[in-house]
Amino acid sequence: MGNDRYDAVVVGAGPAGSSAALTMAENNMSVLLLERGEYPGAKNVFGGTIYRQPTEIIVPAFWEEAPLERPITSEELWLLDNDSAVKIGFTGLRFAKPPYNKFTALRSKFDRWLADRAQKAGAHLVTNALVKDLIYEEYGARNRKVVGVLLGSGDRIYSDIVILAEGVTGNLAEIAGLRKKITPDSLTLYVKEILELPSDKIEERFNLEKGEGAILGMVGYPSSGAIGKGAVFTNKDSISIMVGAYLNQIIEKGLNPFMLMQRLKSHPIIKRLIEGAKTIEFQAHTIPKGGYKQIPRLSAPGLMVTGDAAVMIVGRRGTDLAMLAGKFAGETAAQAKAAHNFSEPLAAYDKKVSSSFFMHDIKAHRGTKDYYRRYPDADFLLTKAANDMAYEYFTVDMLPFNQKFEKIIGKIANLQPLPKTLADVYQGFFHWGVF
Amino acid sequence: MDNFIKIEDIPLDLVKIKADGMSHIFIRNLRLCSEQCEKRPCTYYCPTGVFYWDDDAMKIQITYSRCVECGACPYGCPHGNIDWRFPAGGYGVLYRYG
Repeated sequence: MGNDRYDAVVVGAGPAGSSAALTMAENNMSVLLLERGEYPGAKNVFGGTIYRQPTEIIVPAFWEEAPLERPITSEELWLLDNDSAVKIGFTGLRFAKPPYNKFTALRSKFDRWLADRAQKAGAHLVTNALVKDLIYEEYGARNRKVVGVLLGSGDRIYSDIVILAEGVTGNLAEIAGLRKKITPDSLTLYVKEILELPSDKIEERFNLEKGEGAILGMVGYPSSGAIGKGAVFTNKDSISIMVGAYLNQIIEKGLNPFMLMQRLKSHPIIKRLIEGAKTIEFQAHTIPKGGYKQIPRLSAPGLMVTGDAAVMIVGRRGTDLAMLAGKFAGETAAQAKAAHNFSEPLAAYDKKVSSSFFMHDIKAHRGTKDYYRRYPDADFLLTKAANDMAYEYFTVDMLPFNQKFEKIIGKIANLQPLPKTLADVYQGFFHWGVF
Repeated sequence: MDNFIKIEDIPLDLVKIKADGMSHIFIRNLRLCSEQCEKRPCTYYCPTGVFYWDDDAMKIQITYSRCVECGACPYGCPHGNIDWRFPAGGYGVLYRYG
């Protein structure tokens, strides 16, 4: 690789980095896309789905060629208790047909495909390449501009622009002074298993037609008192099961993420969904849930930061925001190149992101972290209340309805003051974000 | 449900990890773990059991070849005592499904 020179170097070939590289390559820039893994996607895990509308902005009609698992037609949120579940859900068969709504996917395959698209557009992909540091050049009295990257191999690569898309685990954005230090109350830690199961069994168990997909999200039981979630997603010939919580709560409550997984898999209602399925991979990853207050400064002279490295997460959305933010960064780079100025014009990227729909949502949800700090037991109490109520309601007894109703209200009132329960419900729905 | 996690139960045989010849995880100050860290949470929050307390040596031992690079350890340590870096390019976890 020697002393190569590019218009732009992108650090990390995940959704954000590959989208940035693709955008710049399409704008006739020379782009080097660096990936520390043996292949793009080697390090990547998500507990999400690929959303059609944002993704088609990156690659139109991507569903015709991308390695996707199943289009989602059915989605449920379960308030899961020890031996019961209150289920809220939606099935929309319109979502089974083009242009679809969202898809399950396996990131090792999807990320590889997206990086391949960037390559086909002209970006130069180099794998096994770890970026150790940024290279700066001083200018003026006390200004400096990023002019390249230093690799683990000792090679230096120079470029007009460097885009950091190194994910939550990278620390170059922090070293560059853009991002504040991450704290354990702004990270969630998830573990996930891929369970092999024949497609006909998946369709039978989840009540699906051939090829359709379902996802279940769960609160309550899975995170064992910590604020967290569990989920079950259907892939083509496998099921993804995941569970996790805020890292500070995992630590405070002495939880082990693997134990949470074993516990969820042996839950009597979950067990029957995964019966006979064989684990074929175990995964773990953190998610930067810091929200608005943790979003770094997104650019500096010669430098932009995007994706998880820039805390582009709201509710369940992250992979799509990474792709969109990556594209914004790529577009800004192309404009900077046209202007022959790689310092001040990069601030346009900050503006693009802050006026985006997702930054609006990130801002709107800035209270979530504080809410969970103030009410760490809210999800647990709601789940308990809903299940107690449901058991009472669905139990056929010999009481007149008005007495039965009073009994139900009594149960809830015993748990905690009624106004607090109502507030929990309101806050819960607001802060759970996108259902 | 058995509350005791046996490290060998974690299905790491299903995860492809290409371990480098040298560790990418370090304890900054070994004495801090024995003298000031009461709970040693790294021994339980790490999803793959990279860290364990060695009573004889009175220090945290690190099996870096178990690391799947989840990113939790440097932020979870209450003393900021874990120095976690990326493994060298091409090394570390290689998810087939992700």
